Amino acid sequence: MSAQAGVAAGIARPKLDQAAAPWRRVSVYTVGVVTLVLLGLPWLLVRLDIGTYLITLLILFFVQAVVAQSWNLIMGYGGIYSFAQVALFAVGGWTSGVLVHSLGWNPFLAILFSPVVAVIAALGIGLPTLRLRGVYVVLLTLAFHELARVFAVTGPRFISGGGYGLVTVQTFQFGSAIGDQRTIYLYYLAGLIFAIATFVIWRVIHSPLGVAMTALRDSETYAVSRGINQFRVRMLLFTISAFFTGLAGGYSTHYNGGISTTIFDFPRIIDLLAMIVIGGWGTFGGPILGAGLVIGLDQYLVALGSYQTLILGLMLAGIAVFAPQGLWPVIRNAYDKYLAPEGTPPPVEAPPTAPLEGGLS
Amino acid sequence: MSTQLVQAIWGGVLFGSVYGLMALGLTLVWGAVRLLNLAHGAIFVVGAYVAYFVVSRLNLPILIALPIGVFAAAAFAYLMHLTFIRPVIGKPGFDNSTLIATVGISIAVSAAAILIFDPQYKVIPPVIAGNFTVSNVQITKQGLLVIGTSLALFGLVYLFLTYTRQGMAIRAVSQQQEAASLMSIPVVRTYGMVIAISGALAGLAGVLLSPFFFLNPNSGFNPMIQALIVTIFGGLGSVRGALVAGFVLGIFESFVEVYYGVAWAQPGVFLLIILMLILRPNGLFGIGEVRRL
Repeated sequence: MSAQAGVAAGIARPKLDQAAAPWRRVSVYTVGVVTLVLLGLPWLLVRLDIGTYLITLLILFFVQAVVAQSWNLIMGYGGIYSFAQVALFAVGGWTSGVLVHSLGWNPFLAILFSPVVAVIAALGIGLPTLRLRGVYVVLLTLAFHELARVFAVTGPRFISGGGYGLVTVQTFQFGSAIGDQRTIYLYYLAGLIFAIATFVIWRVIHSPLGVAMTALRDSETYAVSRGINQFRVRMLLFTISAFFTGLAGGYSTHYNGGISTTIFDFPRIIDLLAMIVIGGWGTFGGPILGAGLVIGLDQYLVALGSYQTLILGLMLAGIAVFAPQGLWPVIRNAYDKYLAPEGTPPPVEAPPTAPLEGGLS
Repeated sequence: MSTQLVQAIWGGVLFGSVYGLMALGLTLVWGAVRLLNLAHGAIFVVGAYVAYFVVSRLNLPILIALPIGVFAAAAFAYLMHLTFIRPVIGKPGFDNSTLIATVGISIAVSAAAILIFDPQYKVIPPVIAGNFTVSNVQITKQGLLVIGTSLALFGLVYLFLTYTRQGMAIRAVSQQQEAASLMSIPVVRTYGMVIAISGALAGLAGVLLSPFFFLNPNSGFNPMIQALIVTIFGGLGSVRGALVAGFVLGIFESFVEVYYGVAWAQPGVFLLIILMLILRPNGLFGIGEVRRL
């Protein structure tokens, strides 16, 4: 550092670009208040009649939001149309389920292995898949989903449990805590997983890796010619995504006390996809918002039976076509207008576009 | 010939022709519109349920129900084009929007089928009943009909694409959309036509196949996955590829099933396709895209 540069900085400090310093757009106070509210919320809620129900909804929200965020990381930001997310969730769920159920491990120890095995599975799927593009990825990941389902139903007995999945897996026990007390601890555990996943994904999105991945999505040719290793970037993202998905899967197994093969049903994929699309595809907060909305909406729609699926399906199609940005940009603009520390507009987050391929012969 | 061999060949040819028929629709739409239609299975189900409705509720013979089902499937596909695909043609994010939209439509259709009918399995009578045996293997006449129909349709589609004005328009649009529109080819209308044709093919497959696998609101999903595999194996957008790959995969699956057991059939097919993608990433007849990297 020469003296010149120091003098120049002293006279007119160059302003960091907004996109280069995203942390400046998030105020410490907002994060602090949100954390405090989330920490205090269960103690308030248990005093209500339906409080326990609301806490379980929040736990569900935390788990689903982690999976939706991880999926959005590769699908929205990375432009990789992977449909293996539910399968990776199941891999994580089964891993710690089997460790506890068949080997008698402690759930808290077993859950640590869920993300590890999910990452290994992701490496297995990623190696043949991630060099390919668009539709090929859709197909191969759907194929993996289907294979995982078949294996879970017809596989060895300690995995398939005779075709229904694992039904009596030991749940998380916090000392001798029972009832509301235990629900609150479960809430904190889910919240912790959610917080870690959200923070890591946020950092990844704003890291050089994240920039490389959006560059690949928006202009593959240009990004590759600037020296970005496409396969390595995609693989890294895929494993990060699988890590948190597997963790969420492990948590969900010990929360529900089992994992059923119905997890592979198509509506599960649709639910997650709806969260991403409704919240905002390729945006940071979109999947979190979407997870909240879809879970909230489900509580009202569940009484409608099949109409629920019908409405969700049409809504998905409608939003994808007529409002591809989702709802997040609306919230984002409001935040930047009223709450952000600096009143400058954020960079526009354009919807991803992939190059065309193919042809008729 | 041994029973096993005959069974493997018969099953392979039958399912191969069916996969080919489903893949033909997918490949046409991909080639011309660049749309990965994940609602293809839903259109299959629409055709089958309409035919079921005509047969069981209106008590009409299957020969009348067949064209009605096919027409309904084509109409449904065209409606899908009007509402969810036409608005995003030419806009950025076309493939995202349409991919998700078709997933949404497919789930909506299966929900609607549960609401209108019920989740129980339905039976559609075969167009031709009866069967005969060759070395202890039952050969159904419906099966022969399915094989014949799909071969005939491949021929028809090939002739249509090669010799008619509309077919040439489809090929022109699929090769260079902008140049085609400069030659005053109505691009959007051509898209609609391709999607309707593909819908009709899926609907036909739905009506003809339902006597084999019973009909339920999700029964289009598996044929669609198989068709996707066939499409990719044969090369996206290639009509010849869909035909050849349909039979190759159908026979391969059937042989694995007969000689190694049903459980290995699907993993075997997936293994084959992964190998294929490593050795020939563009499929059997796919045209490699020009990439300067």
